[in-house]
Amino acid sequence: MMLLKMKIPALLRLVLTLVGFWGAFRIVFDVILGELIPASLLTMYMFFVAAGVFMVFTFTEKGTRELLAPIKALVEDPTKKMLRNIVFVIVPLALGAVIWQVSMPSFEAPVELRSIHPAPPSSVKVFGKRFDLRTLKNPYRVLEKEDPEQFSELVAEGAKVYIANCQYCHGDKLDGAGPYAQGLNPTPINFQDIGTIAQLQESFLFWRIATGGPGLPSEAAPWLSSMPVWQNFLTEEEIWQVILFLYDYTGHRPRSFESGESGESGEGH
Amino acid sequence: MFAARTLFAFSCLVLLALIMLPSGAQAQSADADNGEVVYFERCVGCHGDEGDGLGPAAERLNPPPRDFTLGQYKFKTTGFDDIVPNDVDLIRMIRDGMPGTAMPGWSDVLSDQEILDLVAYIKIFAALDEETPSDQVDYGSQIATSPESIAKGRELFLQDDRCAECHGQEGRGDAIKKLKDDNGERTWPRNLTKPWTFRASNAPKDIFSRISVGIPGTQMPSFADPVSKKKLTIEERWHVANYVASLAETKKVVAPEKTVIKALKVSDALPTSPEDALWQTAESATFFLVPQIIAEQRFFMPSNDTVTVRALFDDETLALLVEWDDRTKSIPGDAKAESIANAEMSEDAIAVQFPVTIPSGMEKPYFLMGDAANPVNLWHWSSGSTEAPETVSLMDASGAETLAAREAAPAGMAGEGVYRDGTWRVVLRRALTTGDAENDTQFAEGTLIPVSIFAWDGSNSEVGSKHTLTTWYWLRLGAPGGGSSYIAAIIVALSVGALELWWLYSVRRRRVAGQT
Repeated sequence: MMLLKMKIPALLRLVLTLVGFWGAFRIVFDVILGELIPASLLTMYMFFVAAGVFMVFTFTEKGTRELLAPIKALVEDPTKKMLRNIVFVIVPLALGAVIWQVSMPSFEAPVELRSIHPAPPSSVKVFGKRFDLRTLKNPYRVLEKEDPEQFSELVAEGAKVYIANCQYCHGDKLDGAGPYAQGLNPTPINFQDIGTIAQLQESFLFWRIATGGPGLPSEAAPWLSSMPVWQNFLTEEEIWQVILFLYDYTGHRPRSFESGESGESGEGH
Repeated sequence: MFAARTLFAFSCLVLLALIMLPSGAQAQSADADNGEVVYFERCVGCHGDEGDGLGPAAERLNPPPRDFTLGQYKFKTTGFDDIVPNDVDLIRMIRDGMPGTAMPGWSDVLSDQEILDLVAYIKIFAALDEETPSDQVDYGSQIATSPESIAKGRELFLQDDRCAECHGQEGRGDAIKKLKDDNGERTWPRNLTKPWTFRASNAPKDIFSRISVGIPGTQMPSFADPVSKKKLTIEERWHVANYVASLAETKKVVAPEKTVIKALKVSDALPTSPEDALWQTAESATFFLVPQIIAEQRFFMPSNDTVTVRALFDDETLALLVEWDDRTKSIPGDAKAESIANAEMSEDAIAVQFPVTIPSGMEKPYFLMGDAANPVNLWHWSSGSTEAPETVSLMDASGAETLAAREAAPAGMAGEGVYRDGTWRVVLRRALTTGDAENDTQFAEGTLIPVSIFAWDGSNSEVGSKHTLTTWYWLRLGAPGGGSSYIAAIIVALSVGALELWWLYSVRRRRVAGQT
């Protein structure tokens, strides 16, 4: 009961709040989402959190005074002389150590920002023909309503194309975790993710598959992508079939040119 | 009386629940019809309509997808002479997948009930549904791992070539035999130092069951079989299991965040031999190797899976130690090597790729041997044959089809390789700078230099465009520490100290002013 009634000093509250936020970020990213939070991102988040928390604590003059009271007391109260001397020695040494750490030559790799869904060109030349990507449609898509039986046969053909050619990287489960995925950078696209093919038109997929990594614009780092140029290995029909399969297996719908038809209304990339 | 009866009934229920708990999964009823639905939705792609493993990827996967019609499974915990696996074995394979193969774990997609149904369906392909396992692996009582147990295990492992015959002296699977499974497919003995490739885990209990049961359909025999000349008692099998578990080389586990090879500056002479102890002072980085499936001829069935790199440099020279496990020392012309290799053996080889011009921005050469605008250098080493010694050459490429070799010596390049117990260790050295910046990469301290590795296993039909490679990583030459950082740190510490003194001084002045 004594503990509950005791007032936690403002300075300690501030420190506890910051530690709490830091812990929450680590728990949400590392444990719940299962993806380690990058140190640079955590630093950025904590900067804003610290700024915000500091503003809240110093909002009133009383609050500011309360916050600074223990620091003021440490310097001005003669009975705390010993503690003060210790703190005054440790602080410059600690700061010096931090500066020394930071200014050590870094072995960290640079962060390379690349566009994941770059804007497609208006047209692309593949299979010896020029395709207008603004109007290009999957020729088999109409069969979904007109001839469901033939449509599911085409999906099955697409499944064979996928297993024979794509699963090594994009995975049996279409989750971007095929047997070789770990060795690639950038990692293969996860088709199950709502942020990938569900946001794209089939013509975009046709462009990406047919021209592969080397067909990417420079903002998407074509020199890194290990996506083969599939027009060298697949036919035009096989590419359209495998696109049918990607949507069928994941249950996603492609975005269409006519707004509203597919029920998707996400922003473009 | 009533209370006593209730208590009795309750106790019975608890007892019943306790009996059913451990085998809870099997107690549920499995629906093979629903299993069929799941099979045709999730499994048919690789394992085929008939369950024979002849899906469209069969010819491009090693190991190929399982042929369920044979009813043989890579791991099972029933007795060695019992063909029928336990349901829990099959459940585990589907749920957790098969590490080191294209079979993923399905627990995130399929429910426990669906997996159970699937097991019921898969068993029908070999009529296993009509049989029940009669015998189980006898684990006796587990012997905990200890240095003594591991030492006994090692002795038994090596005794009469019991395990070393196929798994090699140090357990790296450097076979002296060409192994085939019952279907005539090439199989490779497990590299026991890489536990993340074990189909089951490398927990001693799982290793114990492998040793006891063997691997059905392969040349891995049962060491519990009393007629076997190499049979082991339960106790001995625990020692071997503990030894095998101890072989894990955790340093060769790929750490995804480790993308920079840190080259350490040395004042001693740079090592020329791969076995120089000085290499151990440099930090290692291990990367995945993936097969080349971009340019013709494509290659789908690699044997090398990772490569480990260390780097040292002095004022004049950069030296790299490239290390990778390869079960076969491929020396064309060597009768023993030929007997293990696939038809038409080539030399083992490795190449380290650098951009000719270190990029200042983000753009790098295309990771597969560069492109027209961004040429690359490849430091290439080849194992040699009985006719010719190992070779080191410098290769230029601006695209895979333009690869051309030139002499290494004029650019101050040399190399040396050693094969021991299933591992190649190759040193490649080159002068940091050459007079020819147009054609040779120039290395400077402190900058990040893109680097990638190519590998060829000549006994696995890897030659020319058939090889494995890594994506771009980084090499950085520079010793940690550095003089200037001390100065900044001292300046900061001194100025903070001065601020403190000034603060104290002003407090004291105020106090003195107050007193007077």
